[in-house]
Amino acid sequence: MDIVLECDQLTKTYTSGEKKLTVLDHVSFKAEQGTSLSIIGPSGSGKTTLLGLCAGLDVPTSGTISLMNFKLNNLSEDDRAYIRNQYVGFVFQNFQLLSTLTALENVMVPLELRGEKNVAVKAKELLGRVGLGDRYHHYPTQLSGGEQQRVALARAFITSPKILFADEPTGNLDEANAQQVTDLLFGLNREEKTTLVLVTHNLELAQKTERIIKMKGGLVVNA
Amino acid sequence: MAWRDGLHNFSRLFLFISSLITGIAGVVAIASLNYSLQDELDRNAKELLGADLVVNSSKKISSELIKVIDSTKVALARDADMASMVMFMHTKESRLIKLTALQGDFPFYGELETFPTDAYAKMKSGRFAMLDESLATQYNVSSEDSLKIGNTVFKVAGVVRKIPGGGGLTATLAPAVYISLTELDSTGLVQYGSRVNYSLYLKTTSDKQTAEVIDRIKPLSKKMGFGFETVQARRDGLGQGIKSVNQFFSLLAFVALILGCIGVASSVHIYAREKRDEVAVLRCVGSSGWQAFNIYFIQIFVLGVVGSLMGAGLGAIIHQVIPIAFKEYIPLKLQFAISWRAIAEGVALGGIVSILFSLLPLMAVRFVPPLTVLRADFNATKVFSKSRLAATILIIVFPILAAAYQTKSWISGGLFSVGLALALGCLALVAAGLLWLVRKYFPLGATFVFRHALSNLFRPNNQTRVLLVTIGLGAFIIATLNIIQNSLLGQVEFTGSQNQSNTILFDIQPSQKDGVLQLMKEQNLPANQVVPIITCRLSGLKNKTIEEIQKDTTNIPEWALTREYRITYRDSLSKSGSEKLVKGEVQKFYPGRKDSVYVTISEGMHETLKLQIGDSLTFNIQGVDMRVRVGGIRKVEWPKDPPNFLFVFPSGVLENAPQIWVATTRINDNVAASKFQQALVVNYPNVSLIDLRLVLSTVDELFKKVGLVIRFLALFSIVTGLVVLAGAVINSKFARMKENVLLRTIGARTSHLTKITLIEYGYLGLFSALTGMALSLGGGWLLCKFFFQVSFSVDWIELLTISGGVMLLTMFIGWFNSREVISTPPLQVLRREG
Repeated sequence: MDIVLECDQLTKTYTSGEKKLTVLDHVSFKAEQGTSLSIIGPSGSGKTTLLGLCAGLDVPTSGTISLMNFKLNNLSEDDRAYIRNQYVGFVFQNFQLLSTLTALENVMVPLELRGEKNVAVKAKELLGRVGLGDRYHHYPTQLSGGEQQRVALARAFITSPKILFADEPTGNLDEANAQQVTDLLFGLNREEKTTLVLVTHNLELAQKTERIIKMKGGLVVNA
Repeated sequence: MAWRDGLHNFSRLFLFISSLITGIAGVVAIASLNYSLQDELDRNAKELLGADLVVNSSKKISSELIKVIDSTKVALARDADMASMVMFMHTKESRLIKLTALQGDFPFYGELETFPTDAYAKMKSGRFAMLDESLATQYNVSSEDSLKIGNTVFKVAGVVRKIPGGGGLTATLAPAVYISLTELDSTGLVQYGSRVNYSLYLKTTSDKQTAEVIDRIKPLSKKMGFGFETVQARRDGLGQGIKSVNQFFSLLAFVALILGCIGVASSVHIYAREKRDEVAVLRCVGSSGWQAFNIYFIQIFVLGVVGSLMGAGLGAIIHQVIPIAFKEYIPLKLQFAISWRAIAEGVALGGIVSILFSLLPLMAVRFVPPLTVLRADFNATKVFSKSRLAATILIIVFPILAAAYQTKSWISGGLFSVGLALALGCLALVAAGLLWLVRKYFPLGATFVFRHALSNLFRPNNQTRVLLVTIGLGAFIIATLNIIQNSLLGQVEFTGSQNQSNTILFDIQPSQKDGVLQLMKEQNLPANQVVPIITCRLSGLKNKTIEEIQKDTTNIPEWALTREYRITYRDSLSKSGSEKLVKGEVQKFYPGRKDSVYVTISEGMHETLKLQIGDSLTFNIQGVDMRVRVGGIRKVEWPKDPPNFLFVFPSGVLENAPQIWVATTRINDNVAASKFQQALVVNYPNVSLIDLRLVLSTVDELFKKVGLVIRFLALFSIVTGLVVLAGAVINSKFARMKENVLLRTIGARTSHLTKITLIEYGYLGLFSALTGMALSLGGGWLLCKFFFQVSFSVDWIELLTISGGVMLLTMFIGWFNSREVISTPPLQVLRREG
C-alpha cells in the first residue's frame, strides 16, 4: 500500500525568552492510503501541533514530514498551500466556515482556488449528500452547528482529497448531530478511499479508526 | 484595571483616536492663522490704506473739493488709475495693464518697496515708470529698457515689490505700471469714454481731524459723485473678508473633525462589542455596570487628550508653514508666533469630542449581562437609560455648538450643521443604495477572488458604510470643487471655438474707428463686431424716479439702480448668435410716434429690475433724460462673442450722443497678435486691447491658486477618512486574519490573499469615490444653477482621475495595514480559535 503521510522524528520546540518548551518530541509514524488513524491524548499532549505539522500548517523544529511524497520541510508557505489544495481536506471542531460566504460558496472555494470553473454542480451534489440540498444559499450564521459541520465536510471532500485531517470534528455538537457527522465522515471516507487522520478526546470515536496513536507530554506513548 | 487593559490595547486604541489628530490639526491651523491675521490687521491697519482717509471718484476730482480739503491743512497725495496698453520697447511686445499715476508722498503709512530703492524718487522726477515685479519678470524688463504708454515713452526706473493696498490677487489679475501723475496727460490716454479712477490720499494728525475732514466733505459726496474710505472701513472690509474666508476654511477643517468623530464612534463601537466577553466576566466577579464602563472610558479619554495634544502640535506646525506656502494670497506679512489660544481651543475640542463620541458605544458596556459568560448569544432586554438619552442629545447638539463657535455665528453654525447632516445623510443614503445594488446584482459569474473580495465588504461587524461616508466626503469636496472650477472656466473658455472673437479693442474714438478697421483689414483680421457704446445711468423706472424706488420696498438691488450702464444701438439681434429673443420683438425707431423708442433688455436683468414688456424706464444719457419702453427680452449667452449688452437701443436715437466704439476680431497665433498689438499701440495709443486668451489663462491661474488652498484643506478630510480606514482595517484584523488563515489552510497562496485584499479595498475605494462623485454631481449642479448661475460643466477625465486617486489611496492604506494579516501562519489562528 502507498504511504500518504510519513513523519520521522518530528520535534517542535517553542522558545519564550530563555525558556524552551518542547511540545512534540521525536514523533514518528506512517499512514497508508485509504486507512484511518486517530491521535488521542489529554489537553497539551501535542495532538493539534502534530496535526498542524502533518498538514503543513506549521514547520517542525527538527525531523521530516513527507506528504504525498513531498518533503514539507523544504517547501515555502505557498508551496505547502498548493499541496493542501491538491491533496488535503480539513474538518475543524469550530467548523471554520467563511462567514461572508453562503453554504454553497463555502463548499466551492477549494476548487475555485484551483481556478476551476462551473464548480457549483459538484458543490450542490456534495451538499445534497450531506443532507443540505435545501440550504445552498444560507450563510453560516443561519445554520445550526451540526449543519455547519456538514457544510465543512462537503468542503473537505469537494477536492477528492487523498488525506483528510479532522480536529475534534464532533467536539462542538450534541449527541444526535455528532452521530450524524461521524457517519458522514466515515461514510465519505470509505467511498472516496481517503486516508483519515483524526484528532480527538473521544475514545469511542477514536475506536472507529483502524489505528490509534496515544500521546502524552509531546511523546507518542502507544502507536 | 483601565491602565492594565489599555496597555494591551494601546496601539489599537491609539488608532481610534488618531482620526482625531488630523481634525484637530486642521482646526488649530486655521484658528491660528485667523488669530494671526486679525492681530496683524489690528497692528497694521493704516498700512493697508497708506493714508488716514482716501477719497475715490470715477470723475476728475473737482477743484472745489480740493479747496475744501486744502482748507483742513492735511497732507495730500493723489493718484489716477486706468486700464491701458503698454508696449515693452525692447521686445515690442504689448499687453493690457493697470496704469497708476501717482503724485505726492503716497504712501503716508507703510512702505512702497522698490528695487532699486531710489526708483520711486526717480519716477516722480520725470518720464520714468515703475512696474510690478511679476510683470517685469514675465516680460524680462530691466532698468535699461523703456515702456511706451499712450503717446509717451517712459524709461524704466525700477520694479515695485510691495505697495500698500496692492499686490496679492489684484496683481495677478491686472499687473500695474506706475508713472507720475504729471505725466499722465502727455500719454493722451484720458479721452472721452476712458474709465479713470481718481483717488486722493489724506494724512491727518489725529482721528479727530479725520472726523472733521469727513464732516466737511460728506455733504459734497452725492453732488460731486465721490466716495471715501477710512482706515476703520478698510480694516472692517478686509476683516470681514478674512472672517468670511476663515469661516469657510474653518468649516472645511470642522468637516475633518466631524469625520474623525464618526471614526472614533465607529471604532469604539467595535471595540466595546469585542470587549463584551471580558465585561461579562467582570460582571460575574462583582463589577457594576458603571465600573466596567469606567475602565474603557478612562482609556479612551486619556488617549483622546493625548491625540488632541498631538493634533494641536501638528496644527501649530502647519500654521508655521501656511504663511510660507500661501504668502502671495495673504495681504499681510505674518509673524511666526504660536497661537496658544488656538491650541487650547483645539485640545479642549479634542477632549470633548473623544468623550462625547465614545460615550454612546461605551454605554453599551454597562448593559452587558453576566449571563453572557455562559451563553454568548444571550441578550438582555433593552432598558431605558437616562444617561444614554443625555449622551444622544449632547451628540446632536455638539456639532451645532462647535460650528457656531468656529464661525462665531449661531446662524452659520446652525445652517452648517444642518447642511453637514444633510450631506452626510445623502452620502449614507448613496452608500446604502450602492451596497444594496451590489447585493442585489452580485456578480455571481465573476471569479472567486473578485466575488470573495466583494463579499468581504459585508462581513459581520463591517464598517463599510462608515468608510464609504468618510472617504466619500473627502472625494465629494474635491470633486465638487473641480466641477465648480470647470463650470466657471467654461464661462470664459471660448477661445478654442472656431470663428469666435478672442480679441477685443475698446476705447476707440469715433474719429479713430475707420483707421482701426483699416489697420485690421491690412493685417487680414476679420472685424467680427464693430459696435458703438454709450454710457448712461437709470433715472427712472415705471414712472417713478430712482430716489422714489430706493425709498419704497420693491426689493430692486441698489447696484442695479445706481450702476453705470454701457449700452449700444442696432435694429437686429447680434449677428454672432450670442442672443435670441425670448419675448416681445426688436422694434425699429419711428420718429414722431408716441413712445417711439423700444429697447430690448437681457433675460435676468428684466427680473432684477422687475420689468415686463411695455414697461417704461428713463435713462440719463450724458445729462439728457430719455424715456423708453421695453420692447423685447433677449436671452444672452454672455461668454459667446463679447461684447454683449444688457440694453440695446434701436438705431436712429443715439447716433449723436457721445460714444466710443468697440471692435472684436479673432487672431489665431501669437506672432500675428504681437504684430497687430504693436501697430495698434503705435498708431492708436489710447485704444486698449484685451487678449481673451490671456484673460483665460489668468482666470485659470487664479482658480489654480484658490483651488490649491481649498484642496489643501479638503486633504484634511481625505486624510481623516484614510485614518478611519486604517482604524477599521485594524479593527477587523482578527476577523480578516481568521478568514485568510482558513483560505490558506484550504490552499490559498499569498498571491490569492494579496489579490483579495487589494480588490476588497479597491472596491471600497471605488464605492467611496462613486458615493462622493454621485453627490458632487448633484451638489455641483445645484451650486452652478442657483448660486453661481453658470452652465454646469464636468470634465469626466478629471473626475475619473480623482476617483482613481481615491481608489488607489484606499487600496494602498488597506493593503499596507493588512500585510501582517496576509503573512500570518495558519496554525496560530486556528489554535486561538480552537
